[in-house]
Amino acid sequence: MSAGNQAVGKRISGVLASLRQWILPLAALTLIFAPPSVAQATGKVHAQSLAGLSLEQLGNVEVTTASKEPEELWQTPAAVYVLTQQDIRRSGATSIPEALRLVPGVEVARIDSGHWAVGIRGFGSTFSKSVLVLIDGRSVYTPLFAGVYWDVQNVLLDDVERIEVIRGPGGTIWGANAVNGIINIITKSATQTHGALVSAGGGSVDQGTGAARYGGTLGRNLNYRFYGLGFTRGPEFHSDQRNFDDWRAGQAGFRTDWTSRGSNDFTAEGDMYRGEVGGGTSVGIYQPPSQMVLEANAEVAGGNVMGNWRHRFGDNSDFRFQGYYDRTSRLTPQLGEKRDTFDLDFLYHLGLGARQDLLLGAGARWSPDAITQTIPTLDIAPHQETDKIYSWFGQDKIALVADKLWLTLGSKFEHNNYTGFEAQPDARLLFTPVPHQAFWIAATRAVRTPSRLDRDLLLTDFLGAPPPTYLRVVGSSDFDSEHLVGTEIGYRGVIGRNFFLDITGFRNSYDDLYGYGTASVFLEPSPAPAHLVFQLPLANALEGDTEGVEVAPNWKVSNWWELRGSYSFLHLVVSDQRGFTDALNTASDNGSSPHHEAGLQSLFDLPRKIELDLTYRYVSALPAQAVRAYQTGDVRLGWKPAPRLELSIVGRNLLQPEHEEFGGDPGPLVGIKRSVYAQITWTEPEQQP
Amino acid sequence: MRISLAGARRFRMRRAKWSLGRLCAACLLPLLFFTPSIRAQEKPSEYDVKAAYLFTFGKFVTWPPAVKERATEPFTICILGQDPFKGALDAIVSQGRIAGLPAATQRLSKLDPDTIARCRVIFISSSEEKQLEQILASLGRAQILTVSDIAGFSRRGGMIEFVLDQDKVRFTVNLAAARSAGLVLSSELLKVALTVREDGRHGE
Repeated sequence: MSAGNQAVGKRISGVLASLRQWILPLAALTLIFAPPSVAQATGKVHAQSLAGLSLEQLGNVEVTTASKEPEELWQTPAAVYVLTQQDIRRSGATSIPEALRLVPGVEVARIDSGHWAVGIRGFGSTFSKSVLVLIDGRSVYTPLFAGVYWDVQNVLLDDVERIEVIRGPGGTIWGANAVNGIINIITKSATQTHGALVSAGGGSVDQGTGAARYGGTLGRNLNYRFYGLGFTRGPEFHSDQRNFDDWRAGQAGFRTDWTSRGSNDFTAEGDMYRGEVGGGTSVGIYQPPSQMVLEANAEVAGGNVMGNWRHRFGDNSDFRFQGYYDRTSRLTPQLGEKRDTFDLDFLYHLGLGARQDLLLGAGARWSPDAITQTIPTLDIAPHQETDKIYSWFGQDKIALVADKLWLTLGSKFEHNNYTGFEAQPDARLLFTPVPHQAFWIAATRAVRTPSRLDRDLLLTDFLGAPPPTYLRVVGSSDFDSEHLVGTEIGYRGVIGRNFFLDITGFRNSYDDLYGYGTASVFLEPSPAPAHLVFQLPLANALEGDTEGVEVAPNWKVSNWWELRGSYSFLHLVVSDQRGFTDALNTASDNGSSPHHEAGLQSLFDLPRKIELDLTYRYVSALPAQAVRAYQTGDVRLGWKPAPRLELSIVGRNLLQPEHEEFGGDPGPLVGIKRSVYAQITWTEPEQQP
Repeated sequence: MRISLAGARRFRMRRAKWSLGRLCAACLLPLLFFTPSIRAQEKPSEYDVKAAYLFTFGKFVTWPPAVKERATEPFTICILGQDPFKGALDAIVSQGRIAGLPAATQRLSKLDPDTIARCRVIFISSSEEKQLEQILASLGRAQILTVSDIAGFSRRGGMIEFVLDQDKVRFTVNLAAARSAGLVLSSELLKVALTVREDGRHGE
């Protein structure tokens, strides 16, 4: 081929490429702009045809809602994102972490079938610290490592009313561990779950799921529901064929809601679960001196009961009293942990005139644990310890200019058994010049108090031989709290009729972050053979800064099409604090959070009760995890052939056979597979007496 | 070793691109088929349904005799504050009769005693949330069915509160509030309600 021909060829293929680039968007654009006039006309037709329906029929008409943003959102000077039941259902997610992928600023990386690294604004890892997770007000983070075992948070997703994700420090109200953010999972009131629901599903990785729920009323004001669920999940992709990460669990629970005389509401709820979570861990052995990979199931079990009483004194004042007991038990080949948590919380809210809104609270938590050592190279000593936390907080929201400008000031004071008193003050300013336009700024100090690991860990890994040499990481009794001072600025508003935009910028400055202190070397005669130990104590060795921007647009293109986007930028620099050199943890912190994350979701309501939902996401590389940037997509097709029947089929991670998201297991990185999953759900409304 | 790894990576990336293109095509194709019928959208908006409710409620409420005697007036549904219905309420009302009377709508920007006397039903728009306590106080025991979608409306002393429940519009009733205004709500209405609150405000 001559050079000229080549040039022409190139130009043609360029034209073709640009045609390809443009045709699809153009097709999409014609779809966007064609229907509105028709839609307006049909609005009236709809209204008129609806006028002939009975009350009962009206209650069964599915509607599209103008704005999913709840009213409280406009009054919140924080970076809040709300995932509604609808969002969760249409995401096709089968677990809470998967549903969280839709939220800007939240990094969800699947390590293997049952393990995730979930971080907010950086610092995601298997043992993600500093993110507080609550289910109906019950804290599910473990004081063992100040993180969350996602493999036992198997809420029935149909019963979730919404998940509120607050990015940024929320220490004032929520207490310790709410440093980088709060994930608040709220289940439906039992008044909303009357009738029966049965669902079953199966697929290539989510091999089998089943759930059933029944709810109703006793008398006029006592509402209840019971549910049970179970699932079995296959391993993800292992290039070395060690498919250790299969996962099975079952859970059952109840919730009752009782309204008494209008001014008192009582909620009682509880769950019990049991599961087996496959995992792999690399552990050191003394005899023979070596490192070995243990692959076995973690046996997990637990249960909780909780009571909540809300009382209103008129319109401007109420209190809430809550108590729960939570038991968790986890036995892995390398360690066993049993924990009982008792928690009491009290919250009092008082409107003072038209200008001030006061919130006062107090709480106590008592959490004894019992550790079982199963291998000589991992221990947490002493084996029994009781975490005790007492906290008080006060917050006042002052209207500086009525209906337009509010100042919120508050602080939490907490006493814990590791570091004593900690203060977490917070100041926020909210400006709403006109309804549905809000600007806010905030400055907060938050702390992450030490966990059991930080203080009491003894972990020994084999480094090499001869002579037999080991690396030992030990907790230290002077490990102090990690500190954060954060500033944030945000805007949210409705632009035009159908476009919602949320933008937040933040800057966080961390001190006393977790790292390794100065190493020491010594010879240890026992256990035999005598060996050399490099010992690294845990210390508040690092400091860091993060900056970032999160953008979440939401465009209701028409009655039947919604587009949602999210983009998060994160710049994270962690370095040694004065007097420390810890290359390992600085490298790991700096290279384990994505700098860019982007997502686009398109939700179609098609005729004949068909929903088509497309999700695309991009996550930039994590050099410290050896994870490359990836982009992938999900498709969900839902169909309601009858009012009580819903069928859906979900294809996940469709753009490649498998992709890696995070390290953590021994051996090569686990690939997250392309998968298909289908589900059938039958709902039976309550029989009218 | 390194080279072959890089090669494999390139190969994978190309595959990813191809399958992205294919995915887009696969997803947009069904759209093209659906385009003609898509225009006849299936779901009404939230406020279409709320408008239909406002129109229908009148059939399930008995007003005190004093109100009924003014039977020459049209049956008026008032909207206080910003109108969210985008013409849907007018479209319904213009065609119908409620309780044997021609129906009408009226928009109010504030409550004044002369105009509210004409309302049988008043819808309090969410734009009035801040003044809700005042509004309910000044309505007092006026014989008007109060309806709103402001959160906590029925708890705060309103009669019927719209609630969104899984993409469906349902409602809760404060029976005591209706009673104190002299309105009788039929058992059919109460049966369909999500919850019925028997007490009044503040647990009176």
